[in-house]
Amino acid sequence: MNESTVFLITFILYILAAFFYFAFLFSKKETIAGIGYKFAFAGLIAHSIALVLRTIESGHAPFTNMYESLSFLSWSAILAYVVIEGKFKIRKAGPYFMLIVIGLMALASSPLMPKEATPLVPALQSYWLWLHVSVTLIGEAFFAVGFITSILYLIADSREKKEGPGKSGLSAKRLDSVSYRCIAVGFPLFTLGGLVFGMVWAYKAWGRYWSWDPKETWSLITWFVFALYLHTRIVMGWKGRRSAFITIIGFLAALFTYFGVNYLLAGLHSYA
Amino acid sequence: MKSFMRFFSSVKLAIVLLIIITIASILGTLIPQHRSTAEYAARYGQLAPVLVRLEITRLYQAWWFIGLLFLFFLNIVVCTLTRLSPKLKRAFRPSLEKEKKRILALKINAHFSRNKNLETTAAVVKNELTGKHYRLKETQHEGSVFLLGRKKMLGLFGSDIVHFGLLVIIIGGIFSGLGGFRTNINIAEGQTMTVPQADFQLRLDKFVTEFYPNGAVRDWKSTLSVLDEGKVLFDKTIEVNHPLSYKGFVFYQSGYGYGWENPTLHLWVKKSADPSYLKQLKMKVGETAKLEEENIEVTVIRFVPDFIIAEDNRVATRSNEPNNPAVLIGGRRNGEEVFSAWAFAKYPDFGQMHSNQDHDLKFEFKDFEAAQYSVIQAAKDPGVNLIWVGCSFLMIGLCIAFFWPPREIKVILKKTNGKTDVVAGGIATKNREDFQTEFEHMVESLRRSK
Repeated sequence: MNESTVFLITFILYILAAFFYFAFLFSKKETIAGIGYKFAFAGLIAHSIALVLRTIESGHAPFTNMYESLSFLSWSAILAYVVIEGKFKIRKAGPYFMLIVIGLMALASSPLMPKEATPLVPALQSYWLWLHVSVTLIGEAFFAVGFITSILYLIADSREKKEGPGKSGLSAKRLDSVSYRCIAVGFPLFTLGGLVFGMVWAYKAWGRYWSWDPKETWSLITWFVFALYLHTRIVMGWKGRRSAFITIIGFLAALFTYFGVNYLLAGLHSYA
Repeated sequence: MKSFMRFFSSVKLAIVLLIIITIASILGTLIPQHRSTAEYAARYGQLAPVLVRLEITRLYQAWWFIGLLFLFFLNIVVCTLTRLSPKLKRAFRPSLEKEKKRILALKINAHFSRNKNLETTAAVVKNELTGKHYRLKETQHEGSVFLLGRKKMLGLFGSDIVHFGLLVIIIGGIFSGLGGFRTNINIAEGQTMTVPQADFQLRLDKFVTEFYPNGAVRDWKSTLSVLDEGKVLFDKTIEVNHPLSYKGFVFYQSGYGYGWENPTLHLWVKKSADPSYLKQLKMKVGETAKLEEENIEVTVIRFVPDFIIAEDNRVATRSNEPNNPAVLIGGRRNGEEVFSAWAFAKYPDFGQMHSNQDHDLKFEFKDFEAAQYSVIQAAKDPGVNLIWVGCSFLMIGLCIAFFWPPREIKVILKKTNGKTDVVAGGIATKNREDFQTEFEHMVESLRRSK
């Protein structure tokens, strides 16, 4: 089997996972969410195989063009979700999160994204490609989970204000705490992969660890937003709505760093 | 001095500065940096002088942006230091809590009575705490036992270590900015270059460009010899991602270029009326070749690697890359100009010919050969090691701050009519849910144990 077949199987598994998660949302049966989780997990395994096959077929790290990068981002997102869901049981976030992943997968498979593996330009031929990109994207995936739980927090919070504390499942308080946990994992990973590994690699490849290239600057901006989140929350005791808003802004900044910079701003990171 | 300290110790200031620096950084990514005045004028019109004046066109080097970073630096220093001494006291010289009320005021607390005497209860409590890896301090006073169990106290300093790392990074950045330099050196095979500010020279022994089967560049490799007064010390082949470091200097393979001074040009001459006619010429700029049967002398007048018609309607080259190589060919018969023609290597059908007299010639620009030189970036960056030290502190601090949460449990045991009154409370600033679970488990097992 080749990579594109396994990728397709992965896509189908994710769609099934989303289907069961949505069925859970309407039926409120925990067992159905469990099936969704199992499909997401199966998808993660299939996706891992697809990434390994891609690496073998192309002969380099599976994130050097937009298709590969989106596929890897989806994989990271599912990984982050499986970890967070396994630990904190945030099943209600499942359907929305799967929807994002399916969106990413659909974007990856769209004809807009060139799929053929191209040989690496000289600057990308380094093991830092693996370290820098994978750790950064996994960090961003945790921000994505935090983004979903923050949105759900805002919904749950306004509902609880109207109707009082809900009986079923996820309370606003718990969503707030899960969002924090996502950032507690995502922030160190993003710092390590995006900023530290990025600087080390930039120094090796371009001869300077920091060039104020738009992608670098936007990573720093993302980092600042989450630093703001941590300081307002831990030192000033902000929680709930304000924390949720900062998380949402932080994720959007991360998203812009990932997508927007490539298409809207020119710079050294032009290849990915 | 006091108001200075108060101003800079405020976390609100840190947050305001973070927001301002963030917005400024965004601005710097939206407005292209370090372009020409003309480009800004074309892009922003009347706004352009304002942007230049406010240094928004070189924002990250602007005095006000560096000033903001400096304020931020001071803010981190003062904030960290003012918060450090209470933390140090808490970690190294803890006091035992003797007030029941204060313990019960903690968010995580328990109050119950055990049916055992003070000594047994104290032993059980201590056993429970040490079993969960708490280190104990205790004192006894008039039929009461005061206990303090603590673990992972290093976690208190996670944020301080992060801040220290950031300060080291900023200092490293200052060193890089003030003491560093970098310059691109174009060097051809066999040439020796003197490195600015260095007491050694580099010689390029060999330069190769490797290609993928599809023609894309795979890598550039430059074999460099390090020379000290003409004597070869050692040699090393550098390529992209694999620089040469020597005596505080680093040499990077940054690319290649063509020496366009004297390229060899391959031209084909054809005739419109006679498809079988073909004359192949190999010429350099300025050289003349004679086409005998036409009695025409052909001269290569000019070569440009990247043909463009500039704004003043003159021909120019857009870059030094052979993106659109073109030659200007002139033809003369008996000293009189017959034609002049531009021929394009990539667009053979777009040749432009200007004829004064009758002739039947067509020119195709088939190929060119030019010497390639290696572009090597020489850099000296005295701040870079500080950056790596700072990054290490940053990462260690983050791991401690997030994954090594400090926990404290305070207990007062009091003898009351053969029973023991237990008051316990816990402090955790992070991961409070997990701590609460642990605390409740401990209380539960204390209540049940004999």
